[in-house]
Amino acid sequence: MDKKFSGVSQTMSRFRGWIQAGATLLTNLHLPNFLKGGLYQGAGKTVCVPGLNCYSCPAASGACPIGAFQAVVGSSKFSFSYYITGFLILLGVLLGRFICGFLCPFGWFQELLHKIPTKKLSTKKLKPLTYLKYAVLLVMVLLLPAFLVNDVGMGDPFFCKYLCPQGVLEGAIPLSLANSGIRAALGKLFTWKFSILLSVIVLSVLFYRPFCKWLCPLGAFYALFNRVSLFQMKVDKSKCVSCGKCARACKMDVDVTKTPNHTECIRCGMCIRACPTNAVCFRYGFGDGKEKENAATLRENNNKS
Amino acid sequence: MSCGKKAAAQIVLLMAGAAMLCFGVWRGEAATVLSKAIKLCLECVGIG
Amino acid sequence: MNAKKILALLLGAMMLLSLAACGAKDNDKQADMSGDGSAMTGEPKTTEEALALHKELLERENALLSENAELWEKVFMEADKGMAMIEDGKNYGDFLLDTVEGAKEQFTDKEYEWLKESATEISNIENKLTELEEKYPEIMQESVDGDMSMPAGSDTSTPPDDGSMQKFPGFEGKDLDGNTVKSDELFSANAVTVVNFWFTTCNPCVGELAELDALNKELAEKGGSLIGINTFTLDGDEAAISEAKDVLAKKGATYQNVYFDSDGEAGKFTTNIFAYPTTYVVDRSGNIVGEPIVGAITEKKQAETLQKLIEQTLAADVG
Repeated sequence: MDKKFSGVSQTMSRFRGWIQAGATLLTNLHLPNFLKGGLYQGAGKTVCVPGLNCYSCPAASGACPIGAFQAVVGSSKFSFSYYITGFLILLGVLLGRFICGFLCPFGWFQELLHKIPTKKLSTKKLKPLTYLKYAVLLVMVLLLPAFLVNDVGMGDPFFCKYLCPQGVLEGAIPLSLANSGIRAALGKLFTWKFSILLSVIVLSVLFYRPFCKWLCPLGAFYALFNRVSLFQMKVDKSKCVSCGKCARACKMDVDVTKTPNHTECIRCGMCIRACPTNAVCFRYGFGDGKEKENAATLRENNNKS
Repeated sequence: MSCGKKAAAQIVLLMAGAAMLCFGVWRGEAATVLSKAIKLCLECVGIG
Repeated sequence: MNAKKILALLLGAMMLLSLAACGAKDNDKQADMSGDGSAMTGEPKTTEEALALHKELLERENALLSENAELWEKVFMEADKGMAMIEDGKNYGDFLLDTVEGAKEQFTDKEYEWLKESATEISNIENKLTELEEKYPEIMQESVDGDMSMPAGSDTSTPPDDGSMQKFPGFEGKDLDGNTVKSDELFSANAVTVVNFWFTTCNPCVGELAELDALNKELAEKGGSLIGINTFTLDGDEAAISEAKDVLAKKGATYQNVYFDSDGEAGKFTTNIFAYPTTYVVDRSGNIVGEPIVGAITEKKQAETLQKLIEQTLAADVG
């Protein structure tokens, strides 16, 4: 059974690109809207998608959790969103940063860019920057939209407005191409955000997922739940030969043998594929799976197989 | 026994999450989300 | 985007030059122009030619009016202050000329010169237009209807819609205080009607309310009007109406806000608008002038476009 799950982990990790593509397609189902230059306006947009996907994308099938949070918090009626927070806690516990690795369209976009063959740079020395995303979450998503309000009690969606490159990529660019009225409306803000998008693109070619590591508030939120997530990494100490291949394979700078549920781990499974002894695998369930009776049954199962 | 604690934490968090979600929907946040999501948020995508 | 704008300006400038080729002559000898304007262009032989000429002349006039919009704005202000609107039958160009003459001290010499020249040319164009209209009465309707959708001046690079103007969808609704509002009555009573689509939780929309109110007051002096359509209030949703009123009051906006049924013609039109705020300019006959303006008019670019469309509509209405 253990072996089987390890096999599942291998397969999942191997076909991750396809899962990402599928998730991106499901997140953006209404493709004809790209040509029409309009938005999908159905009730599906009441619900958020798990990844960072602009709801002003013509094809978007749901709302962006970060955008929706700011919309609620920035409205004059509310100053906190229980709906989105609850939704994100559920997703955080159920999946954690598995969402970043497998379901997020913008994560996939950065990975595709990283496939462009150039000299690749390590982000190991830039570790302090990973804390920046928590500041983005706290200040730009939580505090500023709620408290920096105009005379009618409305706040700006600061993250969306000033930082989010996904909005430009999925919203501004396709809409302005298809709709002359919107093209005419492009202003200074667009220039600023377009430069951000360009920087993220350039950085993504050189570094692995720079936006996820340093800036993404959604990743930051899920990161907080990585430790308690039902989806986790499991290292079988008895199989581990401490070769260090997993840590070297990890592009998120995590040593899975030391901290299997590190905040930066996006469950991409590169360590699983790097491990020569199949000691690393995904695990899904409550608790740690390290209890004695559990271990006993596992050993039993191992013996059987 | 840390494992039991972790499972408990997971269950509590799941329940808290579900409760918050329901409370949010009850007080009308979902409608706010929908009303924003179906319109183009000019300032959000970086236009103008 | 800028490159496109520059291109549009260049095209516009080229058109102006080519048009001015026949107009420049007049400017040189404007002193002895008796105003019959026969030197403007050759005599048309057929109705089509007359129509084309008519159109060209109108374009030229609009171009002149939008070329130095700020300066004209001053002139219009003066006109509003000083005298009654032009009496029937009086040439619009002469009216402008009089106004410019009357407010001479407000302008620098150069500005004054330019205004005088332009006004004289407009006067000539107007004479020619009247002459054409008298000779070929059938062009009147067609040309006026068909031409005003052409954005003036630098915008002439956009393709004209060949006379097929888009009507603003008709509606019969109420304002937020419950008074009945009919679209045809509203539009026909105003030389220009600015229609602003917004909704209550839209930050940029709420941000421009105060400025829209100021614009409404300004328009009232020129025989125009501004209305708001809050999409949340469609079908007369009580809660939404009181929220909208609340926001309008907080922003000090006093202009009329209208709602109608969402399943009517205008209702469907509204559902298809997805970018907010969006502002339309509508002329007296209920036609949409130019492209809808997307984005708040608190931004310079949007404000300029709107001003241009308003002036274009006003000029067309008087002419």
